Amino acid sequence: MTDPAPVQAPPPVILLQHVCRQYADVVALDDVSLTVAPGTLLGIIGPSGAGKTTAVRILTGGLQATSGAARVLGEDPQRFRRRTRERIGYMPQLFSLYPDLTAGENVDFVASMFGMLFLRRRRRVRAVLELVELWPERGRRASDLSGGMQRRLELACALVHDPAVLFLDEPTAGLDPILRRTIWTELHRLRDGGRTIVLTTQYMGEAEECDAVALISAGRLVALATPDDLRRSATGGDVLEIATSRLVDGEALVALPMVRAVDQHSGRHLFVTADDGGTALPAVIAAIEASGAEVTSGREFRPSFDDIFATLVGRHRAELGGADDGRYPVTSTTTADEGAA
Amino acid sequence: MIVLKVATRLLAIVGKELIEVARRPGALFSLVLGPFLIMALFGLGYDNSGISFRTLLVVPPGSGLSTQIADYQSFVAPGITLVGIQTDVESARQALRDQAVDVVIVAPTDLQANFDAGRQSTIRVEYDIVSPVKANYALILAQQLGYAVNQQIIERAAAKGVSEAGSLGVTSAIPPAVIASPTRADPHNLAPVDPNLISFFGPAVLALILQHLAVTLTALSLVHERHTGVFDVLRVSPVSAIEIVLGKVVAFAVLGAAVAALILGLLVAAFHVPFLGDVGLVGITIGLVLAASLGLGLLISVVSDSERQAVQLALLVLLASVFFSGFVIDATQFLPAVQAVGDLLPVTHGIRLLQDLMLRGATTELWRLGILLGITLVTLATTWLLLRRALSARA
Repeated sequence: MTDPAPVQAPPPVILLQHVCRQYADVVALDDVSLTVAPGTLLGIIGPSGAGKTTAVRILTGGLQATSGAARVLGEDPQRFRRRTRERIGYMPQLFSLYPDLTAGENVDFVASMFGMLFLRRRRRVRAVLELVELWPERGRRASDLSGGMQRRLELACALVHDPAVLFLDEPTAGLDPILRRTIWTELHRLRDGGRTIVLTTQYMGEAEECDAVALISAGRLVALATPDDLRRSATGGDVLEIATSRLVDGEALVALPMVRAVDQHSGRHLFVTADDGGTALPAVIAAIEASGAEVTSGREFRPSFDDIFATLVGRHRAELGGADDGRYPVTSTTTADEGAA
Repeated sequence: MIVLKVATRLLAIVGKELIEVARRPGALFSLVLGPFLIMALFGLGYDNSGISFRTLLVVPPGSGLSTQIADYQSFVAPGITLVGIQTDVESARQALRDQAVDVVIVAPTDLQANFDAGRQSTIRVEYDIVSPVKANYALILAQQLGYAVNQQIIERAAAKGVSEAGSLGVTSAIPPAVIASPTRADPHNLAPVDPNLISFFGPAVLALILQHLAVTLTALSLVHERHTGVFDVLRVSPVSAIEIVLGKVVAFAVLGAAVAALILGLLVAAFHVPFLGDVGLVGITIGLVLAASLGLGLLISVVSDSERQAVQLALLVLLASVFFSGFVIDATQFLPAVQAVGDLLPVTHGIRLLQDLMLRGATTELWRLGILLGITLVTLATTWLLLRRALSARA
């Protein structure tokens, strides 16, 4: 009897290994390592000036890493072959179209640069302009389009040659919520079709839309995980929001085995952090009711990603010796350890 | 398939450039028709009557000379307009200082006595002119005046001598005017066309406009892309530096050829500039002037940090062209080292070749085509290398 052949994970589409990038005295990226599997939608998220665009530009070959290695589709971005370049799409952060060309001409030009021949080009130009809802505006000059329309046009240019790997630098910046929803739906569709997408955004809430999130702050990779894992990492577990009919002693709940911490906002309003919210909720309700109070509502609390990132970045800074204590921003926290003591 | 993709990229770049130019007709107008109309206005408006100096003649009291303007008209050379005669030198100088007149001619006080005594008299010519061209011209006029007066004196003396000899029974077959001026020049211009300003400057204007158009458009074209996100997209795309360079060269060569045909047609049909040379050679010359200028413009584009710098460099090229190409001042009037600077400009060779080919029908300086080809190859190769480096990642 022979052992079954081991299932090999597909090679990563994108790889950064200990990448640093320095501009004179400023370290834009500091020892960043990450891998992105095929068909993943990775969001690089962080505050302005964190190093997001630098990372994307290193991956697209626009910048050279000061040290470390970068690979996209198995190749060094500095030495992409033509065939590889045809499989990569890129949308820069700044307006990058020809203002005197119409919307249709801009997309057609970019498609031509990627070597698309006439018939396929004509089909794809229409498809992507319809996708970004600019087909009726195809005859208008780029300079006459609004800022949001120009952004959509750039996205159409990045998508027109149907790339296998897509780098989008703040693709939803300046777009209205409805169009952002449309764009995310399309990005999910592309991801589901096997495309690998790396995008940057300053909208922390958009982390929810990504398969994986790389949180960058001051050039360092603070976290790389799924959105759920990031949330758990920030809060220390699942958070339950409990409201009671009368005052309860939150510290008593810390004694429960699955409870990690209790944040008591008021006498009748608690945030309970537990390893597994689903398991802990009945036990917490039972414990409160055993104390004579009635639970008027109990649900899993999902903090905003703004709060989550603030927590993680603060914690990271604290680890580096900054002033922030890196704790999740709630008041009157009692941890299981403190309770036990 | 690769060939098709390369052709697709090239055609896209060519089309994009032409569309962009077509969508900015004002820029094309100012680049082509603007200089052309200025030159046409210059050629049509310049009456070529030469410089004329308002001149005051000072006849000192006791000189015995006439104080009537009419008596001096025969001495006055072209370029001198006698506006008055005075006897006081100081008041004439004041008029010169007040710029009421340009030249003051002070006649000698004792011309006849000096002559009779065998001494030279001095005709003092004073002028207050800051223009070096006008000052040189005034100097030449002063010398001509001296010759004219001398000639008149000799002629009068000869006439007097002939008269006195006649009274003594001696006759002379030589008229006094021949004694005074035994020779006269009889100029013949063997050039196949009569020189006139429009004919002479027409081919030069054509060469200058083509160079200016090509340099300015290409300089701005690439520098704009280099300093916007467009370059980032191009850098990621499979397009190569050579494709970008070729695409732009082809696009602007097409545009330049159309402009050249238009201007050439206007020069010949509307301004009657002669076209005596071989059409093919003129075409090759125009093509090489365009190609070399495109190379120069693209080179400016890749070395410029901004559109402003590109515009400044393009204007410097224009300024250098006006001074050193032979457009205004004959290139041979410069030191050899400065002539070499002029030889680096495509327009220098374009002007010389087009003037020869159009106005003479032939040229003895076909070697200039080789220099134009050299400028083209060197500038385009340098542009390609620099652009290739720019397309690779920034270290």
